Amino acid sequence: MTVSALKAKDYKSGIKPVWCPGCGHFSVLAAATKALAYLGLPKEQVAVISGIGCSSRLPAYIDSYGFHGVHGRALPVAAGLKAARPDLTVIVAGGDGDGFSIGGNHFLHACRRNMDMTYIVMDNKVYGMTKGQASPTTDPEWSASKMTPHGTGVRRFLPAAIALAAGASFIARGFAGDPSGLTKLLVEAIEHPGFAFLEVLSPCQTFRPEQKDWKNQVHPMGAHPSGDAVEAARAIQADDGMALGVLYADRLPVWQPAYEPRDSLEAIEKEFRV
Amino acid sequence: MTEMTTQPITSLAEFLAHALELEVESAERYRELADSMEVHNNPDVAELFRKLAGYGDSHAQEVKDRAADVLLPTIPPWDFKWSCPEGPESPCMEDAHYMMTKCQALELALHNEVRGRDFYTQVAAASPDDEVSRVAAEMAAEEDTHVQMLRKWFKREACDIQEVQEDLDPPNIPE
Repeated sequence: MTVSALKAKDYKSGIKPVWCPGCGHFSVLAAATKALAYLGLPKEQVAVISGIGCSSRLPAYIDSYGFHGVHGRALPVAAGLKAARPDLTVIVAGGDGDGFSIGGNHFLHACRRNMDMTYIVMDNKVYGMTKGQASPTTDPEWSASKMTPHGTGVRRFLPAAIALAAGASFIARGFAGDPSGLTKLLVEAIEHPGFAFLEVLSPCQTFRPEQKDWKNQVHPMGAHPSGDAVEAARAIQADDGMALGVLYADRLPVWQPAYEPRDSLEAIEKEFRV
Repeated sequence: MTEMTTQPITSLAEFLAHALELEVESAERYRELADSMEVHNNPDVAELFRKLAGYGDSHAQEVKDRAADVLLPTIPPWDFKWSCPEGPESPCMEDAHYMMTKCQALELALHNEVRGRDFYTQVAAASPDDEVSRVAAEMAAEEDTHVQMLRKWFKREACDIQEVQEDLDPPNIPE
């Protein structure tokens, strides 16, 4: 472990979050800053990339490089960055709508490509920023939204199972109500060589107030995380979606372009000049 | 009394590292709550949380002063010996709401101070190190004065924690 002179609060940008008081995302911010301090990562060696949504505001609140991008496109932006700057610690952040619906295809290929980055999905099973519509991870019978008065009627997306099937080499689930446990998972995810997917159950106080009960529903995964994909698939499929911990971890080949850039920055700039 | 510790704390340096984290984290969370309440136009509660963050800062400074000649260990966030997810005095974010009243905020603060006091009391009782027990007992007594202060404050405000503020412009769920 590196002992860092920087404390968790030093990684906060000073911009006041616009999240609703009580939002689980505050704990993710706390866990992220604690993890960066624990790892002793210099701010200029970290880039936080996001798409659109409440959770995607994270880069603004962390004092590092950041990119608040286009809806669902955080992963391709992050992949481009990692390809060009393999020395950076790349953390991607977003929500369940951004990551699994609009960006669902990118999610599959990011898992498969296994570039060395960490993807945090703050899953509250609702589109919060656009005022409470069902997302891919919403239960089919959730009928509180006027957009789906009889529920969606569609089985929910299973992020961990899909990540495993798509080839992610590290899959974990944390809970915003346990910021210290979440910090530990985030540290493990960042240290993992390859694509690390961390699903965070992050309650939305405003549009899903019933999620306050999640603290009574989460439980430890129990079994030791398996590096065997078949065994992990069985455990993930048998799980109720509330098990916390590392669900799968294996060393798989990491994709990173080996070639050096052919053009200088000046030459690239010239190409874009109008 | 709820069980607040997981294992005995065995050295003064370890204890002071816990105390410092407890106070720093508590101040930080109150500051976040204050910012958040400001953003959500709840200025009275924001002011209250800001004040509580200030108290946390001064308590953290007191711990730093006590620890001036002690080399504190670096403890990973998940290895602190408290039984709660964060420090015992840290308000839990999920207990906040943008429509919360000053009285509900005071009740939250009181709950946290009681937990802090209980933590120090239990450390004092369980530690095999006399110095840790002595300092922890002193800090428990200090925390008890904060508990009493908050109880008086609560009384002064003639608090009704059941009071619900009506949101005249509630979050819109589109048709």
